[in-house]
Amino acid sequence: MKVTVEPSIFSIVKYDADEIAGVAKEMLTLLGMESTNLTIEVDETIAMSRVTTTMGDPVHVLAMSAAFENLKKPMTFSADNTKFSLGRGLLRVRDRLTPNFSDAPADEDLSIVEAATWDTYCVGRLSRLGLKVHKQRWHYNFRNRHGFNDATDKHFATIWESDDLTWSQLTEISRHAIA
Amino acid sequence: MRKFFPVQDLARDERFNQATNEERMADPRGTSNTGVIRKARSTNRLTPARPDATDAARSLMHGIMVGEIQALEGAGRTCFDFVTGEEAPFELKLDMARQCWDEARHVEISVKLSEWMGTELGQFVENTVLFAAACSQDPVLRLAGVNRALEGLAIDVFTTMKEFGELAGDPYLAFCEDWMLADEVTHVKMGSVWLRKITENDPERRAKALEFQSVVDKIFSYGGLRSESDESPILLARRFRELAGFSEGELTEIADVSLAALNERREALEKTLATSPA
Repeated sequence: MKVTVEPSIFSIVKYDADEIAGVAKEMLTLLGMESTNLTIEVDETIAMSRVTTTMGDPVHVLAMSAAFENLKKPMTFSADNTKFSLGRGLLRVRDRLTPNFSDAPADEDLSIVEAATWDTYCVGRLSRLGLKVHKQRWHYNFRNRHGFNDATDKHFATIWESDDLTWSQLTEISRHAIA
Repeated sequence: MRKFFPVQDLARDERFNQATNEERMADPRGTSNTGVIRKARSTNRLTPARPDATDAARSLMHGIMVGEIQALEGAGRTCFDFVTGEEAPFELKLDMARQCWDEARHVEISVKLSEWMGTELGQFVENTVLFAAACSQDPVLRLAGVNRALEGLAIDVFTTMKEFGELAGDPYLAFCEDWMLADEVTHVKMGSVWLRKITENDPERRAKALEFQSVVDKIFSYGGLRSESDESPILLARRFRELAGFSEGELTEIADVSLAALNERREALEKTLATSPA
């Protein structure tokens, strides 16, 4: 695996490119993606936590600066938050490498409902891999996109607890949750 | 008991990390699509339609929660720091005591809402600028800075969050924000009434207080957090502010100050990027 981080020197946030690359390698190993090469581009001008990926070799990861940030101490690095943010993005990449997700839109084209659904699926799996996650945060995100009712909560639980869904199944559950 | 408590001595447990406003202002990053920050979205207003809406709402809710704690501490201080009758009328202190009761209730509500939204207490940095505005040695300046500027911002924030809850269909968020908003209007009104009453025959003191309010308004607008531009997450809530006693002229001034703060932040970021390595 080869990981490149851009920029190599940060001018706004206090991040270290080597440290980010190290965390990325750790996550690639944890997710069984040792043969995947990455270019991680950090946009340090934007304080958002969004991470988008574009397939290719290397896979391109675009991360807004807050994705790797210690929220208690703004502009400083958090390895835990980086693990978690990269984990979500890399799980989407891993999904896309299978035929089950061949019909999924590119990250940039995902609707906010689709993004919330896939995030739920990814974070549920990350929690089972031992990463510390706050389930209620993702439950609230799912409710915001699907509705605040018992039926939605049931569909959230189904996605959260699953390990082998296809894109069609994910979108089908999401449609039922909104209905 | 100690009087005039300094902001750096506020008691918090190990979950919380505090930052001064200067530290927050040193962060030039933005979340809007203007100027050099152009990739994210067409509007920065906090609505459920924003891709990062849930996280942005959680962060703002945490800011509200710590703001309520500081507002409680500030109103409590005003009850205690000044000599009754000589420095502050008894009735003013009674209003501040009532405000303490309200703020304590708001803290409890905000904690519950934060948990409901999936936020751990202390997860985000606590900006202590709110309590800093409550450290003035003149009760009239505190009323101007806290009750009119700070609680005025709270009106804008609660209006935005209430609308967020309504649009998202979150019944708890919309309901709680609406109730807290009603209290904030009262708090601002108390500030407006006491400011006029105490400085009735002291135009110099009134001018000083209004100047302080203007400074605090600008500080609270840091980075254009609140303005009438779509680039700001929080909209200036003109109607509720009118109900709270703000005149049309005052509202226009706050809108201008807020827009100036937004432009300053944009320029700061452009400057940083221009001087940073490619």
